[in-house]
Formats: sequence, structure tokens, C-alpha cells
Amino acid sequence: MRIPWEVTSLKSFRIVVLVVVSLFLLGLPLFTGQFVSYLMLTFFAYAITVVGFNLLFGYTGLLSFGHALFMAVGAYTAAFLTSKFSILYMEVILVASVIVASILAALIGAICVRYIKIYFAMLTLAFGMLFYTFLLKFYYLTGGDEGMRVLRPYLLGFNFSEVPKMEFLTGSYYVYMFVILAILMFVMWKIISSPFGLCLKAIRDNPEKAEYLGVSVRKYRWYAFVISAAYAAIGGALLAPAIGQVDPGLTYWTHSGTLVFMTLLGGFENFFGPLIGGVVYIFLQDKIMSLTAYWRFIFGGILAFIVIAAPGGIAGMISSLARRRKS
Amino acid sequence: MILSAQDLHKHYGEFCALGGVSFQINEGEFVSVIGPNGAGKTTLINVLTGLLKPNQGKVFFKDMEITGIGPERLSKLGLARSFQLVNIFPNFTVLEFLMVAIVSRLGKGKNFFSSLLRDQEVTGEALEVAKLFGLDEKKHMLTKNLPQGDKKMLDVASAFALHPEVILLDEPTSGVSTSDKNKIMETLVSASKKIGIKSIIQVEHDMDIVFSYSDRIIALHQGKILADATPEKIEKDEEVVCTVVGQKECFKIFSSILSRET
Amino acid sequence: MIETILNILFSGVFNASTLFLVAAGLQVVFGVQKVFNLACGSFYALGAYVGITVVKGLVAGGLPTPLFIFPLIAAGLLLGFIGPIFERGLIKFVYDRDETFQLLLTFAIVMMIEDIIKFIWGTSPQTTGGIDMVYGQLNVLGATVPVYNLIVIGCSFAIAILIGYILLNTRFGRIIRATADKREMSEALGINMTWVYVKVFTLGTILGTLGGALVIPAGAAVSEMGVELIVLAFAVVVIGGLGSMKGAFVGALAVGVLKSIAISTFPELEMLTIYIIVIVVLVIKPQGLFGGGRV
Repeated sequence: MRIPWEVTSLKSFRIVVLVVVSLFLLGLPLFTGQFVSYLMLTFFAYAITVVGFNLLFGYTGLLSFGHALFMAVGAYTAAFLTSKFSILYMEVILVASVIVASILAALIGAICVRYIKIYFAMLTLAFGMLFYTFLLKFYYLTGGDEGMRVLRPYLLGFNFSEVPKMEFLTGSYYVYMFVILAILMFVMWKIISSPFGLCLKAIRDNPEKAEYLGVSVRKYRWYAFVISAAYAAIGGALLAPAIGQVDPGLTYWTHSGTLVFMTLLGGFENFFGPLIGGVVYIFLQDKIMSLTAYWRFIFGGILAFIVIAAPGGIAGMISSLARRRKS
Repeated sequence: MILSAQDLHKHYGEFCALGGVSFQINEGEFVSVIGPNGAGKTTLINVLTGLLKPNQGKVFFKDMEITGIGPERLSKLGLARSFQLVNIFPNFTVLEFLMVAIVSRLGKGKNFFSSLLRDQEVTGEALEVAKLFGLDEKKHMLTKNLPQGDKKMLDVASAFALHPEVILLDEPTSGVSTSDKNKIMETLVSASKKIGIKSIIQVEHDMDIVFSYSDRIIALHQGKILADATPEKIEKDEEVVCTVVGQKECFKIFSSILSRET
Repeated sequence: MIETILNILFSGVFNASTLFLVAAGLQVVFGVQKVFNLACGSFYALGAYVGITVVKGLVAGGLPTPLFIFPLIAAGLLLGFIGPIFERGLIKFVYDRDETFQLLLTFAIVMMIEDIIKFIWGTSPQTTGGIDMVYGQLNVLGATVPVYNLIVIGCSFAIAILIGYILLNTRFGRIIRATADKREMSEALGINMTWVYVKVFTLGTILGTLGGALVIPAGAAVSEMGVELIVLAFAVVVIGGLGSMKGAFVGALAVGVLKSIAISTFPELEMLTIYIIVIVVLVIKPQGLFGGGRV
């Protein structure tokens, strides 16, 4: 069926596509194996994280090389609450992660947003690594490099401990995560289409001019920083039960690099770009890792290619193809 | 008195950009700052608008000291500026560009959740400002694709959209053909009346424009004020005219004075 | 008491010497091309691994052990000539792009080199087997210093002076300073920027690989060494100021000695202290001691 390109810009067409894709994703575990569903689970967690990350990177223009810190905060909060305090309500864990991450982000952000570009990137890297060293060295608290266990949480108050692990993960947990992802994406959409979102984009495009138009650049960057940290914390907290164990590697700077990679791969200028990047990265990494131990080399090459030839990422390539078809 | 500079000094190492500049601007005045390149005009605007801190001296807005408070606080107090080298948001449409100023002025910048496009107040006003400046035909065009003159206009329009009491324009008609210059000036004057801007300070090189529109002219030379008077008095001041304005203009002005006196 | 202080000082200055080389490479590339090369740490790592291979191979093949330092330095210097491959092959495409993208490209290079190292040398740590001890140790007021360390310190110092001389007195040096200051003017004056960029990047790479080669006899090569070094190099640049050679010197001394102090007083928290210092410096004086420009 040939779709006339004018239709693709119709709002209703887009909503239809969105609904179709969502239904497809929801039903995925029904017709694919457990392994694919499990990968999708990790994708949902990363999707939430990179959508939040892109608020900071794509929409506000700040590259953080320490964003995985907040993902780790969320994951470790989940680990702490479930294994050390036996608090198993997922909703409590999520709220706690957001609170802890927001406080941390408020403090760290207050320092970091006074700087831009390289300095911001390296400061955030330093903070991420600071947390890494802390997690590693204070092993009586955090389990050191072995990390901590994450127990299975209750979803909406329901206890699933009788259900076998994979069935739980690819069944109820899968749906739970998907719903949260959908809600958070809706919230992010509202944020970027709001006056606040406009100001962020202005700051990205020309911070000096934005300042002259009365936009407090530092303050708004700070807000964006805290919001994106909260998203990362939720992503981390949701990821933790799925992988069952959290370790300091979650905040190592190369993990932050992975977040950047996903965002860039999918396209940072597009709202759905980071999602595309996340799913491609996860499945590609799985595929390549099974073929060779040197996946970093290949991914480095891909990153280099994107930076040089396709900075708009996959989404960028699709839209320039679409533009060429139109004319 | 609405804006005053007191003994402003600014040097970059050995080089002295401003060497003791003082003046006062009153409500309702249209003041032009003239001077050859390197006289310190842009530095003066940067100091007046708080982008640069002077080494010495103060700037006052009404009775409040505003030396070096920075552009953001300045705009909230009621001072706006436009830029000599076009300062734009390249990836914004014309409307979005104007909306930034309006959103900021109305204090809606912290609205995380409301839809911008459905905000009639903001979008409506953006359209009005675009119309005022002749940009409404191009309202959905990306700023980076606009012709140079329109980019300039947009920069100025966004400053106007802040509804400032005083506006500083850094060479608003530079890079524009002579025939368009008057059009631009007329647009500026009528827009400022509509919006209620009390005083305009502009840096300008085109002497015809300067003499036609200004209530007062401040002539800057090598960081110091050479003269600060009405156009009529300046015209007759040979020193000013020939130092600041240059030989060609010198000749033009004297020949026009001569033709008027005959 | 004195021995402890002297020990700390000597090991600090030793750290500083190799750090200085890498930082100098960073600074010169940043000063001219305005690219912050995250991969400087990777070149450092490469220099270390190649150094080990060359030295072990030659010694096994009959080279008298005390002469090992010559092929080591040669290896470090020559390896640096892979620089143009990266510069022409990848970096040149992003000179006019946003700093963010330049940073990301160098990050991609870090990833690739890390796997190259893994591919060639595997994942277990490599050493020269203590060959640096062949020069013996010196006893200074109770503190013991390996003579090798003193040699390295001497080399770095000599290189620092050489760099200073080049920058101030040669045509190449003047070109570096001019383009670091005002790029468009240099281009307008007819200087062939492409050639300058290649040469400067090569210089930066050589300094990195040499640093790695020189440091390795005193330690072990592990696959994370490049990744860890970049944070230290960044600390040097933050303290000394981005783009300043003097800053690289002073910053390297500061970080080297601080690291040494941290290792001896809080061995568990060594890196923690470094990160905290970086953050503190960035907050108090972001331009560093000698740097300029907006942050």
C-alpha cells in the first residue's frame, strides 16, 4: 500500500502509527522467545533513561559524560530497599529513587551547569567516577565490586514470588515497564512542547541571546539536569530487578558513554530518536557480542561514522530520505 | 533621567576602549551614538547592557545601579538590546523566536506542562509582533534560512517583544541597502510607539539616518565623548563632523548646510 | 619522616614527568586545533604496550639489559607517527563541528584502540619484568629512588625545555602560537593549515606514546590504563589551564605529587581524592592557573 507522503505529516496518521507500534510492543512476548523479550525489557529501562538524557543533550545542548551515575543511583536504591530493608513495593522504590537522584542532581547540577561543553562533560565524568570509586571502596555498605542483590518487587501491591522468574519478567514486569515508559514519554512530550521546552531549545541554540531575552540560562539548565536525572533513576530502578544484581560498573564513565552513543545513534534531534538508538544498540550489541569479543572496536567505528557522516543518527537519515522523496 | 553612564572606563590590557564616558539619557529621547570604527561604541553598549563590567564607573537605570548585572536581569528591569552581528536562534521559526521573548516576559518560562502552541496569548502576540516588523509572511520559516536583512529585523523584533522601557540598537540598519534603511527606521519608530518604548539609543553609521531621527547625538572618539548635543549643534561643529564622520560625510554635511543656508 | 616526604616527592615527580608528556600533547592539540583529544590516554597505553613488546623482544634477542632504554624511547617516538592516520582518517572531518562532536569522535577512537590493544596483547597485565631496576637505586637521605625514575624525570625535563625552545624560537613554534591565538589570521597569512594540523597532532601523539613507553618499566600495562589516565590528564589541564604549556608543567607537578600523597596516606581513596580535587579546582578557578577564555 503506497502511502502518499502528505499523509505522513497528518497528526492522526502519527497517532495511528504510535498506537500500532505500541500494540506490537505490548504483544511481543506472545510471539517471540523469552530472550528477545528479556532484551526488550532492558531496552525499556534504557529507553526511559535516554529519553531523559536527551532532554539535557538534544534539547538543552549539554553533553554529560556522567549520566549513568543517576541510573546507578536508581538501581542501587532498588537493591538497597529490597535486600537491606525488605521494602518490596515497586512504587515506593521508584519514588525513593527519584527523590534520591533529584537531591543528588540538584547538588551536582548546581556545580556543573555553570560550565559548558568540555568542562561540563569532564565535570560530569568526574562526578560519575567519584560515585564509582565510592561504590567500589565502601564495600561494607555497597558490596564493593560484587555489588548487591535485587529481590523481586511487588508490582502494584501484587506478590509475584510464586511465578517463575522468566515468566514474571517477560509477563507482568514487561507490561508494567512498558506502561511506565509510555507514561514517562507522554510527560516528556508535554515538557518539550511547553514554554519551558522552548526556553531550553533557545539555550541550546544561542545561550547569549537567550540570556538577553530574559531566560535564566543557568537555572533552566539546572532544571533540565534534575529532570533528566530523575528519568535515569527510574530507568535504573526498573532495570535492577530485571538483571537481579547491581554493581559499580553501572556508573563507570564508559556506561555513560553508552547512553550518549544510544542517543546519537538514534538521532538526538528527534523525539523518538533515542528510543530507536536504544533498541538498535541493544540488539546489535547482543548480535555482535556473540560473533566477536571485539565489539567495542566495531561500535567505536559506528560511532565515528555517525559523528562524521550522519550526526542526525538513524532518525536523521530517515527524515532526510523522506525529504528527498517529497521533492 | 532614565539611563545614565558615569565615568565609564574599560581597557583590555594596554588598549583603552572607554576612557571616562559619562552621559544621561532622558525619557522620550532618541539618541544616536556615532564614531569611527574602534571608537568604543560596541564596548559602550556591552557595558551599558551589563555584558561587560567596566574597570571603573557606574551605569544607572532610573535610580538603580545596574553596572554589570548581566543581560538576564537587565531584560527583567526593562532594558533590551539588539546586536550588530546578527544574534539569532538558527533552528527556530520566526514565530518561535519571538515566542521566546514573550514567554520570558510573561514569566511563563517555568511552565513545564502547558502546551505552547495552544497558548493563544503567546502565539497571538508573536504574530502581532511579526506583523509589526513585516515578518508575518515568513512566520514559519527557519531563521537560518532568512535573508540577512530579515534576520536583523527579527533580532530587533525579539528585543522589542520584551516590551522594554529603553532599547539599545547596535547598528540596526547595517548591511542593508539604502532604500531599505528608511523603511527599517520607520518600522522601528512606529513599533516603539505601539509598544510604548520610552527611549531608544542606537549606534549608527549612516549620517542621514542619524540626523533625521535623533533628538540627540553622542559622538565617541577613541573611547571618549567628543560631543553630546542636538543634531543642529553637531552639524556646525567642524571638529566632530570631520573627526567622527570622515571626509566623505564631512563633505556631504557641509554641502547640505551650505545648500540650506543659500 | 624525611624519608617518607622524599619518597612521596620522588614518586610524585616521577608521576608528574610522564603525566606532563601526555598533558603537553593534549594542550598543544587543543591549542591549535581546539580539539580535546580523549584518546591521548589511549596513545599513552599503546606506547606502554609497544614499549614492553619491543624491550622484551630485544632483550630476549640478546640486547644487553642496561641498553633497554634506547629502544624504549625509540619505540615511543616512532609509534607516535600513527598520529597522522587518525588525524587524516578521522579527526579532520570534525574540525569545524561543535566541540561536543569532536569529543565524541575522540571517544570513539578510545573505544577502538582499547579493543586493538586487547586484540594484540590480550587482557592480562603486562610488564617488563622489573627491567628498570637494572640501573639500581639511589639512597637519598634515607629514601630509596630507582635510578630509572630519575632518568625519566630528567628526560621529561629535557623535553619540557625542548618544547619551550621550539615554541619560542623556531618557526614551527611561532606558527603554533599564532594559530592557537588567531586561527583566521594565520590562514590568511598563507600558512598551510592542513600541514600544521597534521604536524601538531603527530607531536601530540608522540608525546603521549613516549609518556606511556617511559612509564611502563616502573609499572604494569593494564587495559584500563588509557581510560584512567584521561581523568588524570584532565585534572592536569584543569589545574594548569586549558591550552597552556606552562599550565601542563605546573598542573602535572601538582597532580603527580597529590596522587603520590594520596597513595601514601589514603591508598584506598587515591582516585577519589583526585576527582575531588578536580571538582574543587573547577569550582574555584575554572580557567586554571594559566588558562584563558570563557568556560
